[in-house]
Amino acid sequence: MKKRNWLIVLLVVLGLLLAACGGSGSTPEAAEPTEAPPKAEPTEAPAEPEPTEAPAESESVPAEGDASGIESIRIAIVMPSTVTDLAWSQAIYDALVRIQEDAGGEDVVEIAFTENMFNVTDAAAAIRDYAADGYDIVIAHGTQYGTSLFEIAPDFPETSFAWGTATDTGKDAGLDNVFAYEARAEQGGYVGGVLAANMSESGVLGVVGPVEAGDAKLYIDGFVAGAKAANPDVTVNVSYTGSFGDTALAAEAANTHIQAGADVLTGSAQQVVGAIGVAKEQGIPWIGTQSDQSSLAPDIVVGSQLYKWDGVLLDIIAKHQAGELGGTAYALTLDNGGLIMDYRDNAPADAVAAAQEAEAGIVAGSIDVIAAMAGEEQMEEGDGAAEMPDIEPVRVAIVMPSTTTDLAWSQSLYDSLVELQDFYGEDVIEIAFTENMFNVTDAAAAIRDYAADGYDLVIAHGAQYGSSLFELAPDFPETSFAWGTTTDTGESEGVTNVFAYEPRLEQGGYVSGVLAAHLTESGIIGVIGPVDAGDAKLHVDGFVAGVKDADPEVQVNVSFTGSFGDTALAAEAANTHIAAGADVLTGSAQQVVGAIGVAKDAGIPWLGVQADQTPLAPDTVVATVLYDWQPTLLEMITSLQAGEYGGKVLQLTLENGGQKMIYADSLPEDAVAAAQAAEAGIIDGSIEIVAEPRN
Amino acid sequence: MQKKFDIYKLIDLFIPILAVLAALAVGAVILLFQDANPLEAYSAMFSGAFTNKNGMADTLVKAIPLLLVALGVAIAFRGGVINIGAEGQLIMGALLTTWLGLQLGDTLPGWLVIIIGMLGGAMMGGLWAAVPGLLKAYLGVNEILSTIMMNQIAIQIAFFLLRGPMIDPAELEAGTNIPQSARLARSADLPRFTDMAKALGFTKTAEELGLTGFTAELYGLFVEPTRLHSGLIIAIVLAILVYVLLWRTTIGFRIRTVGENKAASRYAGINVKRYIVLSITLGGVFAGLAGAIEILGLHHRMFEPTAVSAGYGFSGIVVALFGFLNPLGIIPSAILFGGLLVGGDKMQRAMQIPQVLITVILGLVVLFVVSADIWVKRRATRRVSVEEPASPADPDPPPSNIPPAEAAT
Amino acid sequence: MNENLTILAIVLGILHSGIRLATPYLYASLGEMFGQRSGVLNLGVEGIMLLGAFFGFFATFQTGNPWLGFLAAMVVGALMGLLMAFISVTLKAEQGISGIGLYLFGLGASSLLFKTMLGTVEGVSGFAPLNFCLSSVGIDSSFCLSQVPIAGDIVFSHSVMTYIAYALVPISAWVLGRTTIGLKIKAVGQNPEAADSLGVSVDRTRYMTVTFGGLMAGIAGASLSISLLNIFQENMTNGLGFIAVALVYFGGWSPWGVLVGALLFSTVNALQLWAQVLGLNIPSDVAVMLPYLMTILALALPIRRAAQPAALTRPFTRGEN
Repeated sequence: MKKRNWLIVLLVVLGLLLAACGGSGSTPEAAEPTEAPPKAEPTEAPAEPEPTEAPAESESVPAEGDASGIESIRIAIVMPSTVTDLAWSQAIYDALVRIQEDAGGEDVVEIAFTENMFNVTDAAAAIRDYAADGYDIVIAHGTQYGTSLFEIAPDFPETSFAWGTATDTGKDAGLDNVFAYEARAEQGGYVGGVLAANMSESGVLGVVGPVEAGDAKLYIDGFVAGAKAANPDVTVNVSYTGSFGDTALAAEAANTHIQAGADVLTGSAQQVVGAIGVAKEQGIPWIGTQSDQSSLAPDIVVGSQLYKWDGVLLDIIAKHQAGELGGTAYALTLDNGGLIMDYRDNAPADAVAAAQEAEAGIVAGSIDVIAAMAGEEQMEEGDGAAEMPDIEPVRVAIVMPSTTTDLAWSQSLYDSLVELQDFYGEDVIEIAFTENMFNVTDAAAAIRDYAADGYDLVIAHGAQYGSSLFELAPDFPETSFAWGTTTDTGESEGVTNVFAYEPRLEQGGYVSGVLAAHLTESGIIGVIGPVDAGDAKLHVDGFVAGVKDADPEVQVNVSFTGSFGDTALAAEAANTHIAAGADVLTGSAQQVVGAIGVAKDAGIPWLGVQADQTPLAPDTVVATVLYDWQPTLLEMITSLQAGEYGGKVLQLTLENGGQKMIYADSLPEDAVAAAQAAEAGIIDGSIEIVAEPRN
Repeated sequence: MQKKFDIYKLIDLFIPILAVLAALAVGAVILLFQDANPLEAYSAMFSGAFTNKNGMADTLVKAIPLLLVALGVAIAFRGGVINIGAEGQLIMGALLTTWLGLQLGDTLPGWLVIIIGMLGGAMMGGLWAAVPGLLKAYLGVNEILSTIMMNQIAIQIAFFLLRGPMIDPAELEAGTNIPQSARLARSADLPRFTDMAKALGFTKTAEELGLTGFTAELYGLFVEPTRLHSGLIIAIVLAILVYVLLWRTTIGFRIRTVGENKAASRYAGINVKRYIVLSITLGGVFAGLAGAIEILGLHHRMFEPTAVSAGYGFSGIVVALFGFLNPLGIIPSAILFGGLLVGGDKMQRAMQIPQVLITVILGLVVLFVVSADIWVKRRATRRVSVEEPASPADPDPPPSNIPPAEAAT
Repeated sequence: MNENLTILAIVLGILHSGIRLATPYLYASLGEMFGQRSGVLNLGVEGIMLLGAFFGFFATFQTGNPWLGFLAAMVVGALMGLLMAFISVTLKAEQGISGIGLYLFGLGASSLLFKTMLGTVEGVSGFAPLNFCLSSVGIDSSFCLSQVPIAGDIVFSHSVMTYIAYALVPISAWVLGRTTIGLKIKAVGQNPEAADSLGVSVDRTRYMTVTFGGLMAGIAGASLSISLLNIFQENMTNGLGFIAVALVYFGGWSPWGVLVGALLFSTVNALQLWAQVLGLNIPSDVAVMLPYLMTILALALPIRRAAQPAALTRPFTRGEN
């Protein structure tokens, strides 16, 4: 019969299925995130006012060295992207090739490399293979390879390993054959920022970053600090593509920056070739980093920070041949010539002069880039950043009803926790989370699992999880639990280890209501809620009150979609509001991404709440009531580490920094002033928010 | 029926299991692409759901609503009606149970509140299902259409009630306005297994008895505090009753007859319309009861409706078919699926892989199981044609897993 | 109540919204209708839509060209349809359940792909509303059809995907009613044995319709992600695909009926949004309920209704029965 036939079809379909779902893994984009594990040590550096101990420990080596004395040696390198990436990987590979040439060619220095090792498991296999194959030095050119490297290194005591960006040579783990290296990219970033600020006429700079971590973050933070130092009025728009290799997105980011008025661009990682293409097309100057990118667009690359790994590599080779197989941490700096500023002729002389001055200042120590960056952070983050308490290592788990990318309720908490982790480091804060727990029974299982697994703080991020929480909290008296939105810590039921939290969103709602009343010209404002309850209700109540207090004539049209995730209906609600004459929109819950899309297309300003929705529509989202969970989380962590496992009701208010107002620069000054006055009034108690009855 | 032991029937039972294994194999490939070790992942899944007391408790707790909803789906299916509305019926049942519990909680003894609550929930679910039943029987409105719409309406009714008339007064006082009811009186909690064990005199923990390993976990499951509640017993007893109803009573016979052949039923003098309404209403009764038991045994208050129904209305259909639409098959099927869902979550946490991967694997399991049905059917046809000439009027139709759901209006 | 708006403006607004909102339903329902007409119920429309939405978005996101997104959504949708056809026609599996499996698979796979390939909600510039300006066809005039009073507001300011959806209604009606293919489809769905005896390949016809249904569902998803919303978010269809299946029943398996159903459902939805916006005194939940309630009520009206294809959900095996 037809038996054979459909067996074959089955196979084909299976293949298709696999291609459809599994195919994702085989593309570089898919695995990119692994390229920047939060482990990247350098991220810690900018957050702390004083440089970490790393630079003190690390050895300063001259960038130029003598390659002639090298005896025959075999070097292998494993890298996350390609040797032609015009960025991170190419910088070190070019240095190796230069050394090879100077030392006398392939007979003396043998080079082997493996590219595109975005998959850490594969990289580990490659590292082990090279070592087993008798290579003298094996370089793991990515922070993410560290864990694997430390596992492999002990098996090959005769082989030298090197990895970066890192400062950890594994001494604590008893390793003596590992070198570590890092680039103090913030230094060149700072100089680049000075250069850019001096060149810009529009006063707007655009930065196309990959993932906000590691080397790229250092560079960009330095760039922002430099630009601000050169000209405090300059605006630096930073966008991260979330990927190292997404050239299309980087190009799109560049386009966006240009549309937003940027007239100097920079960026890092291999993705920037896309952005450079756009810059070239539009004739916008570009400042490069890592590798020399001027070959790609000689006319527009005005300056670059170049990584010269030669000195570091030569020193590693020399040490290896002298029998010292590891233990040194290197840093590329402007001072030791590991970082070189390469100015092109097409850069204006005065701008170059200013940049060179900054360079000299950094080398001489009169400019403290780290401090400048910390100052910048402080400006961004407000007073809170300066008062971060010391905390012991803590393991935090979150169980949430939607996803960490919902641009709303769940994401706001997750983002805050990740920011805290960035500050304290991954070894201090460990995060685990379970998404999409709309099924309360599953959520309860997850909460119990985390508690049983020894997590110190388990956050049940939804009011619906309450009953389950109170049932199981008594079984884990040493674990802290938290849930919200609620004010019930379960004290009445004899539960002592539960925190309750509630965002008083009527406050932020009120402020954005005042703002909206000042923004509207038509006198009509649209609000798109999910279900008229919980913090969405508070938001609407506060918003309406704010509008009415600012201008009783303005009309607020409120609609609810009846669902938290119905993006399409939210979009249509936005359309309806616009058709009804609304010229300012706001709304809450994850559904609003649909509405924001509509607002963006219609050119109508959007006032965001909960999480920062700006990345979705930078020009549209003009103000945001951001949930900053950091104070709340810190309060819980410090309490539980002091032995108080629960019983507190924590509110997120404007006063305690749990809610923050973010205003876009494009807003009219009087509107922002009115909104800020409302903020002040709420904080000092002179404004009382009275919700009007609604339907 | 011949008494002869039929090896093929045994093989048929294993085909779904093979299908599950095949789906897991495909899932393993996806796991590999996600840089996760499939063996590690699946062992986390299995041990998470079936080897420790809390895991087993989670599995069984989940199996309760799955079993009840699947029973309802099976009855309706046997009667020739596709009930996609269990989701809404469950929500409506849970709502009425909560309301009754709140009203009666302080005045009546707990056991009475439980009984009234369950009866009320079951009745409400039945009523909610009767609407599409009547529409189908008397106005020719397709039940797939109406039940999908009725689900949405139930969700909005729940939100409406929970925002206003039924909201927990404490929520209004605190100003948080979460759409949830107050907690029901503790006396109206459906007893948990640990409570019953205590009442029977089992007070020692496994540790005190010196039990170890799986015995200790099994003992712990029934005696130590877990979330497992007596809803499980109710559900299993009902499954047996449904079996009796469908295969040992006239009503059951008629329901099945209507489901298999409407025209023939009509000739046989059965009031087809009435039995259509009856079968879907019975289906609703079980979904409503599932809602009632979720409230009384687990949540003890009503909140966000979709979080209570939690997709049981859909996974219940899968469970019903996986259990051959036979109440006795549905019991292991519900436990297996409960385990799959619970274990999937554990695997996600153990391996830190995206939770949606579990959804993909579940989808594959369903597709493979339903596809594998062809083997059963094919052999059944062959067997029938070898043993006796096939006749369309065969009173005992080929034991296909899934009878064609004739959804004629 | 809002005094600033005339009744006319409100009615125009409702119609405009209704027409636009019906777009995804039209694609999905028309496609599903062909499948059902040939006897296959595909409940997995939602899952296919999600995959279509993702691939449509992703292709547009990568290339900047929404037409490539459109194409990608079509291809992915057709592949999923082919899978459904294989399961339901060749393997003769129970259709409702295969559909649920397909839904779960699509839901999970689209989210998984989103997580691994995008990671965060992004925007994209998809199909923009057309305004039918004379200047765009080379005539030197600033006049646009969208400025025409009333009709311009309602009809002439949608994106190209909306127009394609409406154009497909008469085309579908023509194919179904006037062509041999349409005749075959109906025969296969009504009486497969008879069709088979007349030499019509039941399996091939069903493969064709179900694959086409998947293709349309893929486009339906893309109409959200690259035309109406220009974003992709996990589970963004949120039950829309199931409604689309219901609308096929509502429409009595006829393209015009589907059109009426989709327009009714989406216009009532627009109406309830307007009712809320205008501050009419009804609770939001009740307003949201309206379209669902109206659909059931409309069906309960005692009008003569087309009977469903007799062989719907019945697998066909030659020589059986």
